Parts: sequence; C-alpha cells; structure tokens
Amino acid sequence: MLDAVAAEALKMRRHRGTWLMVWIFPIAIFLIALASLVYYQFAPASPPADPQSAAAWIADSAIFWRAPGSAPGRILIAGFAALLFAGEYSWNTWKLIIPARERWQLIVAKWTVAVGFVFAAFVLTDLINLTTEWLRSLQDSAIPEDVTLSGILAAHARAAAYALLPIAYATAFAALFAVLTRSILATVIVSIGLVIMEGMLAILGVFFHARAPELTRFLIETLPPYHMLNLIEWANRKTGLVSPLGPEASVALGWTTSLTALVAWIGLAMAITLVRFSRQDLN
Amino acid sequence: MQNHRRETVALELRDLSKTYGRGAKAKRAVSDVTLSVRCGEVYGFLGPNGAGKSTTIRMALGLIRPTSGEVRLFGSQVTDRDALGRVGSLVDGGTFYPFLSGRDNLRVLARTRGIDGRRIEEVLERVDLTRDAKRKFKGYSTGMKQRLGVAAALLNDPDLVILDEPANGLDAAGIQDMRKLIRALADEGKAVFLCSHLLHEVQQVCDRLAIVSKGSLIREAGTAELLGTSLHLTIEARPMDAALKVLEARRPIGAPSGHITVEGTSEEAPAIVRELVAAGVDVFRIAAEEQNLEKVFLEMTSDPDA
Repeated sequence: MLDAVAAEALKMRRHRGTWLMVWIFPIAIFLIALASLVYYQFAPASPPADPQSAAAWIADSAIFWRAPGSAPGRILIAGFAALLFAGEYSWNTWKLIIPARERWQLIVAKWTVAVGFVFAAFVLTDLINLTTEWLRSLQDSAIPEDVTLSGILAAHARAAAYALLPIAYATAFAALFAVLTRSILATVIVSIGLVIMEGMLAILGVFFHARAPELTRFLIETLPPYHMLNLIEWANRKTGLVSPLGPEASVALGWTTSLTALVAWIGLAMAITLVRFSRQDLN
Repeated sequence: MQNHRRETVALELRDLSKTYGRGAKAKRAVSDVTLSVRCGEVYGFLGPNGAGKSTTIRMALGLIRPTSGEVRLFGSQVTDRDALGRVGSLVDGGTFYPFLSGRDNLRVLARTRGIDGRRIEEVLERVDLTRDAKRKFKGYSTGMKQRLGVAAALLNDPDLVILDEPANGLDAAGIQDMRKLIRALADEGKAVFLCSHLLHEVQQVCDRLAIVSKGSLIREAGTAELLGTSLHLTIEARPMDAALKVLEARRPIGAPSGHITVEGTSEEAPAIVRELVAAGVDVFRIAAEEQNLEKVFLEMTSDPDA
C-alpha cells in the first residue's frame, strides 16, 4: 500500500497542476512574506500600533489554516483532486496501473496523496508565516510577551485539525465526480458549482422555503453544504451558522450534528467512489 | 524443464463473452471465445478491426468485466493479484503519463507494482531506449512510445506477456528487433499472447494462431497447420490440352505460363500424377500452392454477404 502511495506522490509532484493548485499556497505566502520583510526593512518607521493580546496574536498567526475551508481554497483542492483522479481517464493510464494493483488500493492511495499534499502545503505555509512573524519581530513588530511556544503549537494543531475536514470533504466529492464523469473539466465545473451553491445557501433556502417549507428544511438539514459551512463557522467564530429560511424560520444545528452528518457524507462519497470504480469498464 | 513449462497454461479463456449496452441497443463485442496459451509459446490473436481482439485483451487484464465466461491466469481467477502480478502487458500502444520522462514512467509503474526498480535500466536497455529515457513521454515518437510500452510490459519479469499491436509505428529494423524479442521471450519459457494485424510478422513469429471475426473465434491451429492446408495444386504438364481434359473434374485453370491450377490437397497429388501419366501426359512438377497467412486470413474473415 505504501508503494502505491509513493507511486502517486512520485507521479504528481512533477505535474504543473500540483504547483498551481497545491504548492501555490506556500509559494504565494513566501513571496508575500519576502516582500513585506523587504518593505519594512526600508520603509520609514510607522507610529506604534495598539498592542495585541497574546490570544489574538496566536489566532491571527494561524489564519492560513482557514484557507482550506474558504471557497477559493476548496476550489483549488477540488481541482487538484480532479487532476489526480480524472487525470488517469484523460491520459488513458488507468490501464497501465490497474493490472498492477487492486483497484481499491489505487483509489485509497490517491485519497492519501490528495489530502497529504494539500495538508503538507498548509503546514509549509504555516511554518513560513510563523517564521515571517519571528523575523518581523526582529525588525519592529513585537510579539506579545504572553505568547508561548506551547500556546502556538496548541492553537496551530487545533486549526490544522479543523482544516482536515474541508480538505477531506472537497477531495472525497471531487474524487466521486471524477469517477462518475471521467473528465477533469467536468469534475472541476461540478465542484465549483457545489461551492457556488453553498455560497447561495441562504438565498436558496429563503426562495424554496416559501414554496416547499418542509422539503426545503429537510434538504438543508440533510445535504452537506449547510453542515460544511456550519462547522467552518464553529471553528472560526465558536458559534454556529444560522441559515434563514423565512421571517420566523431558520436552520441552526450544533457542531456535533454537523460533524456527524458531514463525516457520513464523506464516507458515503468515498464508498460510492470505491464501488463505482471497482465495477467500471476501462476500454 | 522446457517441456514442463510448455505444459503450463498461462492464459485460459473459457466461453468468454462481452456485451455492451442493454436491450435493443445491446452489442455483442466478444462471443464465447475459448482458448488457452501455454508457457514457451507465441500465440497469435488475429482479426480484422472491430473483431473483439482489444475487448478480449482488456478482459484478460481485468480492465473490463466479462458478461459471461471466465478468464484464468495460471489457473487462478483474473481477480487474483498474485496471478495478475505474473502478467506484463502492452495495451493501446503504451499509455503513459505525458508529463513524466520514460524512466520516471517506469519508476511510477515499478512503485505501483511494488517491485524492485533496478530492473528499469535492464528493460530500457532491452528495448534500446536508454538514451532517450530522460526525455518526456509526450515528446516520444510512436515507435519510442511502443518500445517504452514493451519495457513496461517486461518490468516485472512476467511469465505471460500480452502485446497488443507491438509493431505499430516501428520501422523495418524496429519490427525485426521486436520479432527477435518476442521469439526470445518465448524461448525463455514465457507465454506471449500477441495481437497484431501485421500478418507477415505474425506468420514468422507465432507457434499457434487464433483467428477471430465479429467477436467469435473462427479457427485455432498451429501456424504450420494453418498454412499447410492448401486446397490447390499447381501442375506443370505437357501437352496442356490433354492434361486439362484429364483434370476436367477438378475445375482446372490453365495459365499462359503453362501451369495448371486444380482443386486438391497434397495427399491427392500421387493419384493425379498417375491419372495424367496413364493418359500419356508428361508431368514435370506438381506442388501444393504456397499459402500465406494473409490469404488464409482473408478467406476466413471475408464477409460472404458483402
């Protein structure tokens, strides 16, 4: 199994798409950090800013872990997963590797590499950001005295754990769309459509609730988009998402409900991907 | 040892069928194909375009699920990974990752198979691709792609090699090298299942042949047997008029060159000579008409309704 994962990693690390959709995060933050360090080195001294609390500084330092849950972040993750899974159809290479290994192992290896690469990119992004903050402190931006290494580690580990769910969610559904559509472009389009629909959840909820209130509530409470947004809200603001349905109606669920629902949806998407792929004819 | 290997059935297809679509739109691509390929032999699989050759190969590799029948590799089901691990294949002229070099493509395949990467250089050398192994696959010529495909097929030192049109895109020297390679593989005790439309090549390299048409296997025989079943004799006899009269019952065709072609097999030749001599005709030569695979193939696969 490790060999299959290594093969996927070897394959994808050379692809331009991996640089454009995964490594773009650390590269972009590195360039921004470099520019800011150069700027502050030569810029005239600015009046001192209001001192930040240690908690606020630590929370700000972990802000890049919110990117996987953002719409652009999930579109890039889905694009990478589309390349990884649907690419084999486009390059006609499934027939090269399928006789070499069990089909389920190939799919699991791809999931591992998709999640692993994206997660590694954000770890790298986070490290670059923390290093930049430290270098800035050598210039003129003081780190609050109460900030401790253990405090940083705990906050960043928590933020990283929260980020795993949107990464897994975007990957699982992109993989499913890839196996169903057998096309990179179609997978990306469907994934983008899903993210756009999530953004329109409040408007769609109000619109359809006026016509079919029970069905609309059932769908919002059942389908994954609300649960994904709800968990992101819980992670970022410590309060859930209230999705309005009408003047006196709304959906507001606890994080445990949304976590259970989303894990179930991710599991279902993965199961359908495995079953569909294992029975697929590859001409 | 060699005889023992020849006894081993590497690939066995039993009543293998594949139908695409359902109901009125159903199309039967392969129909009840039964054959077996033994270790140490080159088995040619011939058929016109659309005969079901590629579908059969894909079923043998587990890429397509048969509608009915079964594929057995070394006595095991095609789903048995150990059995499939003994198979190397070249399908569709070698399909590889275009953004990787030839060598990296083989590295990916070796990793996926979980095998030793040290064989990579060996197989690259064997297909004469070492010099171009650093180049990206998308820059390869058709012949180079084909050779990389063969290298990939040999990477796991397989006991059964399935080659779908391995000579496509190769120049004359390349075809000759490929022929030698295929023969060498069989001599090493491997079973080679060769699908090709280059009949002259197949005729030279295969021990046994199967001819498929419209999804069905219409003939399976040893190459020599298939080519030896000539149904025509060429006779050189004088005087020609007298000879034609004697051979009238055999629908003789007299050629201006002085040769007469009649229906008949090699076994009938002595009787024909006796008849001619008894009628006062001098017989200078009688021989079975030389067959070639192309002729046999066209006779067998031609559509009588066309």
